[in-house]
Amino acid sequence: MVNIIYIIILLLGIGFLLPITEKLGKKVSNSMFFLTLTSVSVISVQWLYAFIINGQTSLQFFTAGVKPPLSINLQLGLSESVFITSINILALIGAVYLIKHFNNIGIRSHVLYLLMILGLNGLVLTRDIFNIFVFLEITGISTYALIGSDLRLKSLIASFKYMLAGGVASIFLLLGIIFLYHNTGTLNIDGMIAASPLQSGLKIAGIAIFFLFFALLIEMKQFPANGWALDVYEASNPGISGIISAAGTAAILFALYKVMPLGNDLWFNTIAVIGIITFIASNIMGIKQKNATRLLGYSSIGQLGLLLAAMGLGFLYGGINGKFQFIIFALFISHFIAKAGLFWIAGIVKKKEIKSWGVLRKSPVLLFFTGSFMFALLGFPPFPGFFGKWELVLTLANKHQFLWITAILLGSLIEAIYLIRWFGYILKEKQEENETIEQGATKYSSVFILGTILFTISGLYMIYNPITNLSFYFYPLLFIAFLFITDNILPAYIKNILSIAGLSYYGYVYFNQFSEFRFIFAVIFLAGGILTLIPGFVKKGKRVGFYPSAIIMYVGLLGLLVAKDMFSFFTAWEFMTIGSYFLIIRGKRSQPHALSYMLFSLGGAYLIMFGFALTHVFSGGNGIALDLLNSIKSNSALIFTMLAIGFLTKTAAAGLHIWLPGAHAEAESDVSPMVSAVLLKAGVFGLILIMISSLRFDAKMIIYLLGWLGAITALLGNLMASFQEDAKKLLAYSSIAQLGYILFALAIMSHIGWMAAIWYAMNHFLYKALLFLAVGAVVVKLKTHNMYEMGGLIKQMPFSFVSVLIGIIALSGVPPLSGFGGKWLLYNAFILKGWYLQGAIIAFSGVVAFLYLFKLINSIFLGPVKDNFRKVKEVSIWYLIPQYIIIIAIMVISAKPKIVLGKIGDFITSYMPDNLVVWKGDVASSYMNGKLFGVWDAPNIMIIIGIIFVTLLSWLLIMSRKAQKVEMFNIVYSAERPESPQTTHFSHNIYSHYRKALGFLALPLIVNFWSFIVDSIHSIADFVRRLYNGNGQAYIMHILGFMVIIYFVLFNGGLF
Amino acid sequence: MNLILILGFMLLAIGFWGMLTQKNMIKIVIGLTIAEVGVQIIMISIGYIKERTAPILDSAVPLADAVNKVVDPIPQALVLTAIVIGVAVNALILSFIIRLYKEKKSLSIDDYKEMKW
Amino acid sequence: MEISLLTKILFSLLGLFIVFNYGLLQAGVMRKIVARVAGRYGIPIYQPYIDLIKNYSKRTQITHGVMFYLGPVFRFSGGIGLFFFIPMIYGSVYWQNFSFSGDIILLMYFQFFGMLGMALGAGEGGQPNSIIGISRGLAQFTAVEVPFTLAIISIAVQYDTLSVYDIVAAQQGGIQNWTLFTNPFAVIAGMFAFLGLMRHAPFNVVMAPQEIPIGPPTEYHSTYLGMLQSNRVVLHIVEAVLFMNLFFGGATSWLELIIKSFFIYFITVFIGVVFPRYRVDHTVRWFLKIPLVFGILAVLFV
Repeated sequence: MVNIIYIIILLLGIGFLLPITEKLGKKVSNSMFFLTLTSVSVISVQWLYAFIINGQTSLQFFTAGVKPPLSINLQLGLSESVFITSINILALIGAVYLIKHFNNIGIRSHVLYLLMILGLNGLVLTRDIFNIFVFLEITGISTYALIGSDLRLKSLIASFKYMLAGGVASIFLLLGIIFLYHNTGTLNIDGMIAASPLQSGLKIAGIAIFFLFFALLIEMKQFPANGWALDVYEASNPGISGIISAAGTAAILFALYKVMPLGNDLWFNTIAVIGIITFIASNIMGIKQKNATRLLGYSSIGQLGLLLAAMGLGFLYGGINGKFQFIIFALFISHFIAKAGLFWIAGIVKKKEIKSWGVLRKSPVLLFFTGSFMFALLGFPPFPGFFGKWELVLTLANKHQFLWITAILLGSLIEAIYLIRWFGYILKEKQEENETIEQGATKYSSVFILGTILFTISGLYMIYNPITNLSFYFYPLLFIAFLFITDNILPAYIKNILSIAGLSYYGYVYFNQFSEFRFIFAVIFLAGGILTLIPGFVKKGKRVGFYPSAIIMYVGLLGLLVAKDMFSFFTAWEFMTIGSYFLIIRGKRSQPHALSYMLFSLGGAYLIMFGFALTHVFSGGNGIALDLLNSIKSNSALIFTMLAIGFLTKTAAAGLHIWLPGAHAEAESDVSPMVSAVLLKAGVFGLILIMISSLRFDAKMIIYLLGWLGAITALLGNLMASFQEDAKKLLAYSSIAQLGYILFALAIMSHIGWMAAIWYAMNHFLYKALLFLAVGAVVVKLKTHNMYEMGGLIKQMPFSFVSVLIGIIALSGVPPLSGFGGKWLLYNAFILKGWYLQGAIIAFSGVVAFLYLFKLINSIFLGPVKDNFRKVKEVSIWYLIPQYIIIIAIMVISAKPKIVLGKIGDFITSYMPDNLVVWKGDVASSYMNGKLFGVWDAPNIMIIIGIIFVTLLSWLLIMSRKAQKVEMFNIVYSAERPESPQTTHFSHNIYSHYRKALGFLALPLIVNFWSFIVDSIHSIADFVRRLYNGNGQAYIMHILGFMVIIYFVLFNGGLF
Repeated sequence: MNLILILGFMLLAIGFWGMLTQKNMIKIVIGLTIAEVGVQIIMISIGYIKERTAPILDSAVPLADAVNKVVDPIPQALVLTAIVIGVAVNALILSFIIRLYKEKKSLSIDDYKEMKW
Repeated sequence: MEISLLTKILFSLLGLFIVFNYGLLQAGVMRKIVARVAGRYGIPIYQPYIDLIKNYSKRTQITHGVMFYLGPVFRFSGGIGLFFFIPMIYGSVYWQNFSFSGDIILLMYFQFFGMLGMALGAGEGGQPNSIIGISRGLAQFTAVEVPFTLAIISIAVQYDTLSVYDIVAAQQGGIQNWTLFTNPFAVIAGMFAFLGLMRHAPFNVVMAPQEIPIGPPTEYHSTYLGMLQSNRVVLHIVEAVLFMNLFFGGATSWLELIIKSFFIYFITVFIGVVFPRYRVDHTVRWFLKIPLVFGILAVLFV
């Protein structure tokens, strides 16, 4: 093994040698530069390998041939080697990224860069406290100079402010060091810790540690003493910002980690609090930020705050080992790679405004990595941060630190607001045609390597994480990776065939593995997946980005069913969310809707994670099996509520629904049925899981309220649907209402109620897929969503008309189609339960559904044809195939519901023995107090109605003369053509009277509520960030003010 | 001895006062320097032991008896390092100020506030 | 006592025939009464027969398309289907039709079958006034359904059953057992709903587009109109019978059925000639006020 001291010798030596060898030419000096960085990386990797694979124990390296305290010693253990390896590899890749920049500036930048890296390595390795000061200053000086070396005004200003702050920080650091020395008589950190100065009770020790920690907190850029840092991130060359943000903070974090044991619990707590406040404040301020690199700065500082908080908490709860080591490394490595990557991409894009980042679309590879980095920062699977956040939440829950969990999740959610919004701009914001981004192999390859490293580490996490076995995802993720790689090569239809084959394969493999509810949902997810993929054959070209997203979503959905423990479930949930987000945002005007979808989903997901953590704790703290939901011992109502709200964001219950209409309506035509008919059922599955668990504890009150919520959701959804002019929005609101029925039926908590819920879930899957496919295909054909621009299409599109007709009859619940079964079960259920008033609301909303269903079919297919659509042909066969498969399914289950319901009933009985539905042949009957209550004979009803209909049709045919066909004319009022196109369609706004009567129920109160929240957050953000007024002097003031704040908070003013 | 410690803290305070009140960037840097000097004085005064001499091994201080005759050498070594580093930083800051002045013809820190919020 | 399917079908058809003729006569009588109240002499009471024959024998016919053609079929199927699902005479195995196929929920939702089909047919006609009529009709119907549902919930709970036959059975044994007296709130709510369902004044603005000579039924003519007219007579009687079964003790003989249903239907006509007309938004709001209150009282005090 190479002595680690050579890292320092190499960097220092070559650094000083470079100005001399410059005379030999650029090639030589550049080769030396890279050779140095490479050797340093190799040395650190070699040690890392030794520690991980060979189980090497940690080592001390002594200088000057004597042992401490007389000499300085370096320590190299697993943690040190991880950090220096990360730093040195990043430094190497960063050098590749920056080499052109450096060559423009001259050899001094190479030297400065090597010195900076030297400083960072030293910070990690040294065990001497004064040495920390020295390395901090080496890093500082070389960084200031490196930032300013491009001589741009902005970098100079930023660097100037940085120097002032750094100068102040080093004053306090020196004070701290000298007082500590005075107190302990040594400069060796281990010696100091052994002397435990705080135990001595001397005031001077307290002051010393105060100064020491304070100085490091300034270097950690904690809120509010961090205005200068933002300027640094904004103004520096993004390549350097990336290094500072990743490697620089890594080294300082590690330095702080080394001296942390000097503190006591009070300090650990304070540091954690400062960290979390920074995390939240920084992210809030980021919301208002429009400048890309400054925004990354905010995000960077926020992440540092989170790391600091995790570290503080780790020390508070017994030191950084085991769980906390895992947590901090996972959070650290995500931030480390992702932030460097994002800064570097910013250096390629070179657009100041985040709204102009759409140019990234010109480079799919960069776009892919940008997304990956952002999702890694947000802690989505498969990235390491996901595992870290989960363990953090779980560990904190074990310590009953619920406020901490709330704060961490809140901060993460706020961070998601701006990152996801930004990514939305990148994907969708309009761009000038001639805009380009920088080309150049060095920068691209650096980002590419960094991204590859991120995915490699993520892969290792997926395989080797200690939480649970995620092997289910192995092949699907490989398949997704394959789809990503070939995305720009294979034509759409091949990918479509592969995707359908993949889903079919999993259907075949898992067909017998699921039972009960899981089986039903497996049918919905897999059959739904295959059916909704079929229309994809219409698409010409490559359809870049669609298939990976769709498969991620379906893998997530399937993962929900496979999951045996809460972590796998949550992983699946997040995969599903990512996939569906990317599907939804594909629509032309989807950007804001996809954003709100993502935020609601994420908020819900965090609640679910929180709920799971609580489940783990309050079921005895043993393991994370999903079945623990059934053995929660205390606080069950709280846990139930959290999980329920989490799942209800997905099912879009009233109040949490505002994301749905836009997201479903603006999605592509074959995506709408995926996200509406299939995806929403994931929330239903979750609800079923927790409701089964609720049988073991008392959540009656909450479930009762959920019943009301379901009823109100149903009514509001249907009313709002009635007032829509946009066909797909109408269907989207209708989905909200249908999910309201399902929630209501589930909340009834009886055999017949659950039967109704599952019957509704299945039927909604069928008829909503049918309607969205049919209407979506028409929308594609006509290129408009507005129903008043359509009309009379029955003649051009008879097959679509039949689909919609079947769809609306099934949805409305008119006998003899399957919807009536739902109504019958639901009425029986709520009457037997005694929920008359809620039931009446459900009944009312059921009738309101007729309003929009009639409007839908009438406006699109009936009446006179619009002139411009006279030549329109029937929609593509690929849209019709799945529709007619669904129609067959609807017909079968309408005529013989028992084949499905009988089985459903069997396994519901084991959970809910009340209010059984009894089958006699094909006749279903319900009983009240042992007495026959209601009867439903589906086949008979079908036959009777069929016979009557056919008889009367024949009667009409017999009685009719040859009917004369009437041709339509355009409608023109008083020989004038009205200006607004909608008024020429007579079913535009046809329910105006209804709006007059009941419109107050459909006022956008909830939308207003959420916009109020959004506006408030933005104003708070704008208010807080004015703290950073750009004045370097003010920043010094902040630093001193920060000291006063910490002093008063920490010691309550009583130290001196 | 305590007097020197107090002097150090006074210099520190004066330095911070200068940094916070002066608008001229050079004066701010002077404030920083004064504060640094204050810290250095504090460091030395902490290492000082009454009635002892400087830790220089020469004829006045025999090697065998050095431990009992000289003050703690370490703070003095630290101060030397700190001074060197301080000089380097100050030189760098001043050179930046010159650059800034060339760009904008102003030494007032209030004129360099483009980046904010 | 079991009877064979064939017997059942024959008796059901016979019942339909009776109801059909009774409905035609009743329609004539009612129109005569309305005319007399208005101070006119009025039509002969057999006028509906004449109209029907005339309509079925028209020699010209037009169509706007398949759905237009099927509209009346849907509508009439709705009427006849409803008849087939309602038990007519209590205590007789011959006059129960096919009511064993379902319960009152089936009846409630089957009402929509005809309405929906008719609405679609008229929609294809493309006549703007049809759409106005339909939109008003649907809107009014949603509001009417609220007190109606509450009333039905109330009596389902009261009698522990959803089966219409059992509801009638529970009301036997004297007038004091009628729902009218045992559960007056439900009956009030239900009868308000009945007014809305029958669409006489004050709730007949739905029919207004028909009065200007271009509403759905005038767009439909000849055989179509014949079917619609046939449906209307059947439907009026069937609806009255349904309310009779639910609220007024049902009927044990055809005579009782005819008398009761006549008066039940007459109530709507009576109110209709007395009151002026509401606008649709007024109707919707009105039904969500007083009838709703009675409906809630009905479910609360059952």
